[in-house]
Amino acid sequence: MGTPAPARSRAISLEVNGEAVEYEVPARRLLVHFIRDDLGLTGTHVGCDTGNCGACTVHVDGVSVKSCMLLAVQADGTRIATVEGLAADGELTALQRSFNEHHALQCGYCTPGMLMSATALLEQNPHPNEDEVRVALQGNICRCTGYVNIVEAVVAVGEGTS
Amino acid sequence: MSTTTTTTPTVTEQQSTPTLEKGYIGQSIPRREDKRLVQGLGTFFDDMRRHGMGYVHFVRSPYGHAKIVSIDVSKALELDGVYGTITGDEVAIHTEPFFEMSVEPGANIKDYALAVGRVRHTGEPVAAVCAATRELARDAADLVEVEYDPLPVLVDAEESLKDETVLHDDAGSNVVWSGVFDWGDIDQALADADHVVKIERLHFHRFSSTPLECAGALVEYDKGTAEWTLHCNHQMPGVGAIWMAPALRTGIDKLRFVTQDIGGGFGNKICLHPQYVVLCLLARKLGRPVQWTEWRTDQHTANAHGNERTFLDIEVGVMADGTMTGFKVRALDDCGAFPRYEPLGCIIWAQVTPGLYGWRNIRVDFTQVCTNKSPVSPNRGYSRMQHLWLTERIADIVATELGIDPVEFRKKNYVKTEQMPYETPNGCVYDSGDYAAALDIALDLIDSGSIEDRRKEAAARGKLLGFGIGSTLDSGTNNFGQSTLLNPDLQFSGNNEAASVKLDIFGEVVVTLGTVPQGQGHETTAAQVVADILGCSPEQVNVRRGHDTWFNSHAGFSGTYASQFAFTGLGAVKGAAELVRAEMVQLAAAVLQAPEEAIELADGFARIKDGPEEAALPFMALGAIVNANNAFLPPDFNPTLNHRYVCRPYFGMVDTEKKTGQLTLTYATQIHAAVVEIDPETGVVDVVDYAAVDDCGIRINPQIVEGQVHGATTHALGAALSEEFVYDEEGTLLTSNFYDYHVPHALDMPPLKTGSMESPSPVAPLGAKGMGEGGGGGIHCVCAAIQDALGAAGKAIVYTSCNPPHRVWSMLQDPEATRANVSVVSK
Amino acid sequence: MLLREVDYARPATVEEAVSLLAAHEGARALAGGQTLVNVMKARAAAPDVLVDLVDLAELRTIGFSSDGLLEIGAMVTYTQLVGSSEVEVARPILAEVAATIADVQVRNRGTVGGNVCVSDPTNHLPPLLVVLDASFTIRGSGGERVVPADEFFVGVYMTAVGEGELLTKISVPPASDTGDGFSGVTIGKHGTYVVDAAATVSGEGARIAIGCVAATPVRATEMEERLAGGDFSEDAVREAAKGLGASLDPPSDVHGSADYRRSLAETSAVRAVLQAVERRKR
Ligand SMILES: Cc1cc2nc3c(=O)[nH]c(=O)nc-3n(C[C@H](O)[C@H](O)[C@H](O)COP(=O)(O)OP(=O)(O)OC[C@H]3O[C@@H](n4cnc5c(N)ncnc54)[C@H](O)[C@@H]3O)c2cc1C
Ligand code: FES
Ligand code: FES
Repeated sequence: MGTPAPARSRAISLEVNGEAVEYEVPARRLLVHFIRDDLGLTGTHVGCDTGNCGACTVHVDGVSVKSCMLLAVQADGTRIATVEGLAADGELTALQRSFNEHHALQCGYCTPGMLMSATALLEQNPHPNEDEVRVALQGNICRCTGYVNIVEAVVAVGEGTS
Repeated sequence: MSTTTTTTPTVTEQQSTPTLEKGYIGQSIPRREDKRLVQGLGTFFDDMRRHGMGYVHFVRSPYGHAKIVSIDVSKALELDGVYGTITGDEVAIHTEPFFEMSVEPGANIKDYALAVGRVRHTGEPVAAVCAATRELARDAADLVEVEYDPLPVLVDAEESLKDETVLHDDAGSNVVWSGVFDWGDIDQALADADHVVKIERLHFHRFSSTPLECAGALVEYDKGTAEWTLHCNHQMPGVGAIWMAPALRTGIDKLRFVTQDIGGGFGNKICLHPQYVVLCLLARKLGRPVQWTEWRTDQHTANAHGNERTFLDIEVGVMADGTMTGFKVRALDDCGAFPRYEPLGCIIWAQVTPGLYGWRNIRVDFTQVCTNKSPVSPNRGYSRMQHLWLTERIADIVATELGIDPVEFRKKNYVKTEQMPYETPNGCVYDSGDYAAALDIALDLIDSGSIEDRRKEAAARGKLLGFGIGSTLDSGTNNFGQSTLLNPDLQFSGNNEAASVKLDIFGEVVVTLGTVPQGQGHETTAAQVVADILGCSPEQVNVRRGHDTWFNSHAGFSGTYASQFAFTGLGAVKGAAELVRAEMVQLAAAVLQAPEEAIELADGFARIKDGPEEAALPFMALGAIVNANNAFLPPDFNPTLNHRYVCRPYFGMVDTEKKTGQLTLTYATQIHAAVVEIDPETGVVDVVDYAAVDDCGIRINPQIVEGQVHGATTHALGAALSEEFVYDEEGTLLTSNFYDYHVPHALDMPPLKTGSMESPSPVAPLGAKGMGEGGGGGIHCVCAAIQDALGAAGKAIVYTSCNPPHRVWSMLQDPEATRANVSVVSK
Repeated sequence: MLLREVDYARPATVEEAVSLLAAHEGARALAGGQTLVNVMKARAAAPDVLVDLVDLAELRTIGFSSDGLLEIGAMVTYTQLVGSSEVEVARPILAEVAATIADVQVRNRGTVGGNVCVSDPTNHLPPLLVVLDASFTIRGSGGERVVPADEFFVGVYMTAVGEGELLTKISVPPASDTGDGFSGVTIGKHGTYVVDAAATVSGEGARIAIGCVAATPVRATEMEERLAGGDFSEDAVREAAKGLGASLDPPSDVHGSADYRRSLAETSAVRAVLQAVERRKR
C-alpha cells in the first residue's frame, strides 16, 4: 500500500450515539458543523470561534473534546456521543435530573456541553468533590448561572442525593 | 455552599395591594423548560433549517474609521454556490435610515443597516454575501474587494468631545445628547457642607454580558403577502419592529418575529435591527430563506457593548456628622459609533439618582458622545449600574478620606425603612426595602466581625486583605415616558405587557406570553401563577415556549428587559388568568345550578364548596362545553375561556421641565459584600469570601431568584476583575475573543453565599419586584474591597471599575498617582 | 470559524508522514489540532495539506531509553502525561504543569509535540523543557537528528523542526538530586500565562527560564550564575533575581505593560526557584 494521497474530502464511517453513520465530508468541515448541520443533532452548540467555551463538547471514543476544534474527517473510525445520546431510551440520566432539581441551567445553551463534560467526569470519578467538579468544568463557560448550582448538581449525583 | 437567611420586615405602614395567597407561588418548583434543554432538544434559531436556505456572511471593516472608496463584489459572485450579495449602496436605496431618538445634533445621525460611504468602527458590516453553505459564504466574503481611505480615529470620549474629527457629518458634532439635571440646590449644599470631597475622575469601563449564544436569525420572505418571518433571538421584538418596519418601508404587521429558546440576552440582543434588515433585504432580493449566525469575535467587535462612562469633577457635600447632603458630577458617556438604543442611557440612570442614599441635592451634567468603537446596547444593569458604581465609589472614597468606617457611613446615609415609600429628589418612588437590615445580613454571612483577624492572618502570609460593600438597586418596569426628558417630541410613555390564557377542549390550560424569555424561567413562574389562580397544578398549565408576534398576544413594549417580568409579565398573566377564572366560575355556577359564591376552583375542578362529590366539573368539562358543546348556553351568556390581558402599570406623566417623574416602579435591593486578598508582588486579586443579599419582595420561585443573583454576581465579578473591551489607538478591539476577554469559569468563581429578605412591593400586582439585572453589586464591592486592601500599601484610590492584576500592580507601584485625583476641603 | 479548503491525509507510519510532508509544499502536521484548527478557523493560517498524525501509534508512547532518559512521544496528550506513572516517577513537574494547561477537553487532545512545535511564547511547556534540559528528536527524509532544548525554540511559531520534518519524541533526564518549580501569573485560574518561570535546582546551581517575555524562553543566565554557589536561602534567591527584569525586553499588551512583565519575571523566577528548592528537600 502506498502513501495515502491527500484529498479534499473523505468518506468517513463512525458511530454516533450508537448508530453507524457513513458520510462523505469535505476535509475542512468542523466536527461540530458535521454533527449539527449534516446529522441534524442540534443539541451540540457553538458559543465561540476560538475553542474557549465548551458548548460544543462531545465524547470521542469516550473522551470529552470540543467538537469545534476537530475536523469531521478526524472523527473517521471513532465512536461519538452527543447530548442527544444521554437519555437515549427516553429516561433522563441522574445527572440530567439533578440539573433540573438544582436549577443548574437558565438559558440552557451551555447545558449540553456541561452535561457531556460532567458525564465524562462521573464516568472516571463517580464521587467527585466540589474542587474536582470545578476543574472538570473549567472548559465550559456558562454566562447565566455563575456555576454554583451546576457544581452542586454534579456533586449531588456523586453523593447519590439526586 | 450557600446559606439563606430570610427576614421579612413588616410593611404595615405601606398600602398593601391584594396579593394571592401562597400556593405554588413562593415555591421553588423545578423548571418546566429544563426537560427539553437537558436533552439537547431546545430549539435555538441556529437549529432551524429551510429548504434552499442560504448562509449569510458579513464583510466587515478592518478599520476603526475610514471612507469607503469602492466595493467590488464581482469575484464573490463568480464563485460557484454564491446566491448573491448586498452592499451599503443598495441599502441606502431600499431602506430609510433607522429612527433616532435624540434631539439635535444626535437626531441627524444617519444609521443604515450597512455602512454607507464610511465605516465608523472596526467590524462594522459593509457588505453581505449569501451562499449555499457556511463555508462558501465565508470564501466569497473573502473575495469581496473593499478599498478604504483611513480617517483619524477617536477612541476616547474626551477627545471626541472636542469635535476635531466628526464621525457623523450629518450631525456636525460627536455629541449625541447633552443636558443638565439639577435637583435640590447643590451649590447651597456644597457651601453649607463641613467637608467637600472632590474627585477629579472615575471611569466605568466597557464590557458586556456576552451571552453564550451569539445573535442571528433565519429570515423568510413571502412574496405573495410581502411579509417577513424572522426566526430569531431578538429579546425585544416589539421595539425591534418599531425600528425595522419604517426602515423597510413597511408596516409592523409585515414583520413576524418568532423566538423559541434563546441562549441568553442580558440586553445584548436588543439592537439587532441593522443585521436583521440586511437579512430581510437579502431574503427578498434572492427569493430564498437566508440565515446568519454571528460569530463570537463579531459579537465582541460589532454588536453590543455596555455603556462606558467617565465621571468628572465630582464634588460631594458632607456634614460634620458624616451625613452626605449632595453631589455634583459631569458624566461623559461613550456610546460608540451609533446611538441605536441611545440616548436612553442618558436618562435611565436617573431611576436611581441618589443610589441608596439620602442625598437631596444633586446635579448631573450629562453628555453622550460617539466614538469609533462598537455601538452600545442595554447591558444587564443598563445605565443604572454605571451610576450606582459612582454612588458607591463616592461613598467609599468619602468614608476613607474622612476616616469613617464605610459600614457605619452607609448605615448613616442609607434611606431608612421608616421613610419608605421614599420619594427621591427627582420624583422617583422607592417602593419598599430595608437597606440597613439587608446590609446586616450580608455582614453576618461573611462574618464581618472577624475581618481584622483575617487581615492579620493574611498579612502574615504576605497578602493584603480587604473588605468591601456594594449596595445597589435593581429598578424594574420602565416608564418609557422618561425618554421625553431627553426629547420632548418622542411619542413614548408608560409601559405595557400582554399575555393570554385559555382553557381548551380537553381541559388544557394554555398560556402565551408577550415576554421573550432567554433563560429566566418564565414558563415555570407563569405556570405557578396561573395554577394558583385557576386551582390546578402547574403541570396542567402549558406556557408556550418563546414568542411569536403573530400568535402570542403582545404589546408595544413587549419583551424581556429592564427587570420587569415579575411586574408586567406576570401582571398580564395574572390578569388574563383572572378573566378566565371568572368565566369558569360563572359557567360552573350555571351548570351546577349554584350561586357563583359557592363555586371554588381547586385540584383541576370547578366544584361546589363543601358540596357533594358529584357537584364538581373537571376543567375538561368546562373546556368542552364552551368550545364544542355550547348549544344549551343561554344566548346572553357567551364565555370564551380565552382571554388576553394587558398589564399597563400606572406612572403618571413626567415633568419635562423639572426632569422629574416616576421613571420606574419597583426597586429591589442588593447588598453585596466581598473579602479579597491581593498578592502585592503580582497584583493578583483573589475573592476569598462573598455574600449577596437580595430583596426583591415576594419571590414567585425562590430558586429562580437565587439563580438570577448568582448570574448577576458572576457578571459583576467578571467585569470587576477581567472583562474589558480594550481598544488600541487605531480603533482595533484587542479583546475580541474569550482568551483576551476573560469571563469567569467554574474555577475562577469564589464560593457565593446568598441571603434574602422579602419587602413586598406595595405597587406590584403580586408584591413581586422586578429583579435579575442586579445593579452591578459585585463590581462595587470588589472595587471597595481592593481599595480597602490597598489601604495598607499606600492608600491608592480605585478609580476604574475594572481591576485586573496589572492595574492593581500599577496602583501598588504608584498609589500617589491615584490619590492625586482626590482632595478634601474642610471648614 | 470556517476553514479554507484543505487536503487531508492520514498516514499510517512515520515514514509516510515524513514523505507526505516533504512531497507537498504548504503541508502541515496535524497533531491535537488545539492550536492549528483554531488558527485555520481564523484563516490566520491556511495550509494546503494536513497530515494527520493520529494513527502513528509509535508517537503515543511514554517510556525510558536505554540510558534512562524519560522519552515522551510527540503525540502524547497532556491527559496521558498527567496519568503516566513513568512521568510521576521520573519528572513529576511535567504532569503537574500539564494538568494546568487550558481545560480537560483541550488536555484530552493537545499533544506535547504540538505544544512545543507551535512555539507560542505563552505556552506552558517550552520554558519547562528548557530548564529540564530536554532534547528533541526530529525525523526528516534524510534521517533523524537530536536537538537540545536551548536550540530547539527559534522564534514565534518557529522551531528547529524544518519543512518536511517531524518531531517524534522529547527526551527528559529523570530527576536525580534535583527539584523543579514553575510559577507565574495567568489570565484566570489555569489560564494562559502573562509571564511564567520554570526552574530546576540541583547541588550545582539552578537552571531558570522565563516564558512570555520574548519569542522564545529566556534563560535567566545572570541569576543562574549568582545561584551557582548553591545558596538557595530566600534572601539569596531574591537578591539573585534583582536586575533580571531590567535585562528583558518583554511586550506590552492588554494583560500588562512591559514593566509589569519585568516585575513578574523577577517574582516568578524567585517563586519557581524557591518551589524547586522546597521540592528538592523532599
Ligand atoms: C482554549 C485553549 C487554551 C489554551 N491555553 C493554553 C495554555 O495556557 N498553555 C499552553 O501551553 N497551551 C494552551 N493551549 C494550546 C494547546 O496546548 C495546544 O494543544 C498546543 O498549543 C498545540 O498542540 P496540538 O497537539 O493541539 O497541536 P496542533 O494544533 O495540531 O499543532 C500545532 C502546530 O504544531 C505542529 N506540529 C504538531 N505536532 C508536530 C510534530 N510532531 N512535528 C512537527 N510539527 C508538529 C503543527 O503542524 C502545528 O503547526 C490552549 C488551547 C486552547 C484551545
Ligand atoms: S464552540 Fe467549541 S469551544 Fe466554543
Ligand atoms: S445556562 Fe445560559 S449559558 Fe449556561
